[in-house]
Amino acid sequence: MKTITKANMMDAIAILAQDAQVLVPMTVDGISKFSLWGSEGTLAFSAVNTLLPPKDSLFPQTEKMYSYQVENQTITSLDIHNEAKQQIIFGIRPCDMQSIQCMDDVFLTKTFVDDFYRVKREKLITVCIGCNKTAPTCFCESMGGSPAGHGAADIQLCDLGNSYSIVAQTAAGQAVVEKWQGLVRDEEGSVPEVSCTLKVDAQGLPAQLSKMFNHPIWQEVSRKCIGCGTCTYLCPTCYCFDIDVQNNGNEGYRFRCWDSCMFSDYARMAGGHDPRPSKNERIRNRFLHKLEYFNERYGKNLCVGCGRCLTKCPVHVDITLFIDKVKEVSSIESVQL
Amino acid sequence: MSQCNCDNPLVPELVQVSHIIEETSDIKTFYVSTMEGKKPFTPQPGQLGMVSLLNIGEGMFSITAQGENHLEFAIKKCGMLTDALHEIKTGQMIGVRGPYGNGFPIEKCLGKDMLFIGGGIGLAPVRSLIKYCFEHRDDFGSIDIVYGARSMADLCFKEDLFEQWPQEHNTKVHVTVDSGDENCPCNIGFVPAFLERINPEPQDKMVVLCGPPVMIKFCLQVLKKMGFTDDQVITTLEMRMKCGVGKCGRCNIGSKFVCLDGPVFTMAELNGLPNEF
Repeated sequence: MKTITKANMMDAIAILAQDAQVLVPMTVDGISKFSLWGSEGTLAFSAVNTLLPPKDSLFPQTEKMYSYQVENQTITSLDIHNEAKQQIIFGIRPCDMQSIQCMDDVFLTKTFVDDFYRVKREKLITVCIGCNKTAPTCFCESMGGSPAGHGAADIQLCDLGNSYSIVAQTAAGQAVVEKWQGLVRDEEGSVPEVSCTLKVDAQGLPAQLSKMFNHPIWQEVSRKCIGCGTCTYLCPTCYCFDIDVQNNGNEGYRFRCWDSCMFSDYARMAGGHDPRPSKNERIRNRFLHKLEYFNERYGKNLCVGCGRCLTKCPVHVDITLFIDKVKEVSSIESVQL
Repeated sequence: MSQCNCDNPLVPELVQVSHIIEETSDIKTFYVSTMEGKKPFTPQPGQLGMVSLLNIGEGMFSITAQGENHLEFAIKKCGMLTDALHEIKTGQMIGVRGPYGNGFPIEKCLGKDMLFIGGGIGLAPVRSLIKYCFEHRDDFGSIDIVYGARSMADLCFKEDLFEQWPQEHNTKVHVTVDSGDENCPCNIGFVPAFLERINPEPQDKMVVLCGPPVMIKFCLQVLKKMGFTDDQVITTLEMRMKCGVGKCGRCNIGSKFVCLDGPVFTMAELNGLPNEF
């Protein structure tokens, strides 16, 4: 197999950084996230996954869409801000790679293509590192993934100890590997097998959940939620956004920013009607979106099993315990039938 | 379905308000044309447009009618954006993008008698299909239009209701107001009770129903009693929307997005979705 030593890998990244923005896992001020190669912070390639997912490289937390100038009822200019630089996410984990697939479905399919996303996506190269250890909160296997790697990454790496194995999975990935001539060598080796210790049974969930819209389980699961939105901000697949405006005299710009279905005004309409007035309906919508609705629409779960929400929810709302409960309910109710 | 043909569906086209009609004390109809005086796009009846005042906000509205060179939006004053829209004057530049949404299922209505039921501003989306039916009069059977508002002063589209539509072939217009005095030229009472009195026959008929939730709820009960089935009844839904193109997430009912898969649904389709409305 093709391999590269860990020491050479740093040189390999430096080569890529000559003509692209290379984002690597780093710990900055105590928070692990994807940061620009060469910026201040500590490299965190050995972390299982970063606290902050890399979704903002394609879908920034705040993104200027267009700016305008107004003079006496006349709009004198409207400029669209939509340029993207070549980006490489180096060291993305398989779960986060799957989250990009989910976002691709949302932003690039179903009648309309979101142009702000498209330009960034077309200039993104992904280098995925398979996990050779898993955190106690990792459950990607249960959601249909694998810690070993992801087939959609341009390049798949696997940590062999002192080196990484390299597999280019796309033409773009092949072109990158060709830049590493002299750094890559051929050697015998085997990829270690890793498995998640946290397991849930997600089989048949959409069908089961579709019968549970009015089930008391929602009251139980939402009781302790404080509506802080941490789960949605850390989630690599949560893509809901708001569009708002920033004015400065006669000019201004409209931007989009991450929003959260956990917030009380998220679905409230002009005139005051709110179809999801309490956290009961909001949690229900979030979990059903993740585990039922997205499946119905795009044929996959909108949960990739990264475990971030379990780790950081301040009141320990846990989607894996929720799935266990759904299974319990369905087995009890099928016995009753 | 006619679709937004812009390169970037989230960026509005700059257009002008060419004419404003004061329908009621809190509803105005805005005629919108391109800066060259053309129609910004050609929607199907029931489709939507995102209207914006760039420095204030954007809102999704049904396109109540279209002319050769303009689109019409009937907009009720009920929030920050609509308050500001009610202040603008003819000639003002605004933004518009669309058309969005599925529109009315015209093929399901062809050859059928049509019963339109509207309440308040709920006549706005329905009006696009009523006008379509009159433009293609031979494609439809009899037309009944049942419309109600709080008072005479709150009736929208008065010229259509009292002058234009009653002149149309094989068409009856039934107007009611919640309250009025003895000089009131129309019925006095709520729409569901009025509908019960009109007592339409369900055979070969499609119903298009749009209005406040409470009116819809009681009209559905009346329709059911008369023998209408859920796939004969079409309605349009409202939800808060930001993108209008099925991306931003907030207007979902189950796995459907009202902006993209709606706003038009038959009651039979809605029965298959989570009861969130």
